[in-house]
Amino acid sequence: MRILVVGGGTGGTIVANSLARRLSSEIREGKAKVTMLSASHRHMYQPGLLYVAFGQMMPDELYRDQASLLESSIVFEVDPVEEFMLDRNQVRTAKGKIHEYDIVVIATGSRIVPEEVPGLAEGAETFYTEEGAIKMFKSLRNFAAGRVGIVVGVPHKCPIAPVEVTFSLHDYFRSRGIRDQVHIKYHYPINRIHSIENVAKWARPEFDRMGVEYETLFNVSEVDVEHKVVKSEEGTEYEYDLLISIPAHRGMEAIEKNELGPDGWIPTDRHKLTMEGYDNVYVLGDTTNLPVSKTGSAAHFEADVVAENIASIVKIGAPVTEYDGKVYCFIEAGHDRATYAMFNYLNPPDLKPASKPMHWFKMSYNKLYWASVRGLL
Amino acid sequence: MTTETETPRAAADSESADFQRLAELARIVTAAQDALSDEMVARLASAFGEGITLLDRLTRNEGLMHLLHEIDRPENQRFLICLSDAFTKASRDISASPPAKGGVVGLCRLGCNPGTQEGLRLVSMIGEHLSENMRELHRRGG
Repeated sequence: MRILVVGGGTGGTIVANSLARRLSSEIREGKAKVTMLSASHRHMYQPGLLYVAFGQMMPDELYRDQASLLESSIVFEVDPVEEFMLDRNQVRTAKGKIHEYDIVVIATGSRIVPEEVPGLAEGAETFYTEEGAIKMFKSLRNFAAGRVGIVVGVPHKCPIAPVEVTFSLHDYFRSRGIRDQVHIKYHYPINRIHSIENVAKWARPEFDRMGVEYETLFNVSEVDVEHKVVKSEEGTEYEYDLLISIPAHRGMEAIEKNELGPDGWIPTDRHKLTMEGYDNVYVLGDTTNLPVSKTGSAAHFEADVVAENIASIVKIGAPVTEYDGKVYCFIEAGHDRATYAMFNYLNPPDLKPASKPMHWFKMSYNKLYWASVRGLL
Repeated sequence: MTTETETPRAAADSESADFQRLAELARIVTAAQDALSDEMVARLASAFGEGITLLDRLTRNEGLMHLLHEIDRPENQRFLICLSDAFTKASRDISASPPAKGGVVGLCRLGCNPGTQEGLRLVSMIGEHLSENMRELHRRGG
């Protein structure tokens, strides 16, 4: 059985390692083979970018060599897939190599598209890339007083990021002793301050306590960089001195170019995690069009299901389990408190008050992530 | 559990002791909160994460597991003690001997020593078995 994993992010790495463990005897006997094709030889811990933007982590702490995270029995190649020939069970890579498979796992992730809003890329800071996070930190360091706007595009990776960055801004300016000279205004595209209702209910009194102003139904239409004004499709606008953006995301270009799904999101069976119409094509992480958060934790729980099912297909010829939509998100409520949201397709999250031990749990997870992608946690 | 002979006072005392223990636990948590910093928590988590990764690699390493199995056998344990003992004696002997003068005469004198001959025979026997094992390993595609 030839199993091909396309993408070396959180989901792809966990699924490959889990398969290598579950199928160790089959791999040794030559009955199974796991190959990973990735776009990079490095693996980034993406949630760490928020800490980089506030000077709490250095960029080099976010990276590990991808090969060092993989089981030695996995064939790893840095050669991204450019063409998916799903009807022929083949992919073609950037180097022109054809890989044949019996089962393929597509875990290519997502990308930011700030360029889709005029002026957003030039006028706003963002922490979704390493360069962006460093630039945002330098802008924050140089900021002494004025109006800070937070704007959100949809869909975006890490649904909690808008409220987390707002809490962090409050704590950052407070620690510098200039909070009273900074006006923070949070803008959100729907008619409440967060897409998850219970997160909105929890965050609203926190915003009130911190003196953060908020405006809902604010879909960014344009950023006037010259006059420092951000405008919404709804007709309102905000004059800013510093603009922080959570840019909208799309699936990777290869997915769009191969027309596997609108905007690069692949239509996926919400329980089986197979691509609609293909029983031997599994999809996980940001790449799916599932109604769950685009987070590392969703990718992790999906990867466990995909690996268990592929292994059981190899061993007994049938999948054995289903994905229930589970997501677990830490929520940093500033620089020293945190809480979490756990939910699935049926049960909404029930947020507990933020606490320091939860913040430590999150701090710990930042380091335990590397054991997690190896498939140990 | 309250029995018929137990007085309400004893039950209240027991409850009070439980609360006191809870308060002590809370004080320990508070003390940990005051003593630890984000940096310390991150370092501890990092050490734990790397530790379990290392442990995982070691426990799934077939060669190491085979080695541990061999070390479990009493005859191998006796052999290791014997080896350690030999190294200790050799270390002591070499420190007590004068430096070798060199030359063919010295080599002949050394070759005539029965201990040297025993040693050479042992080393050549080990070499013979080792080369047989290596040949077998390559035959099996190792």
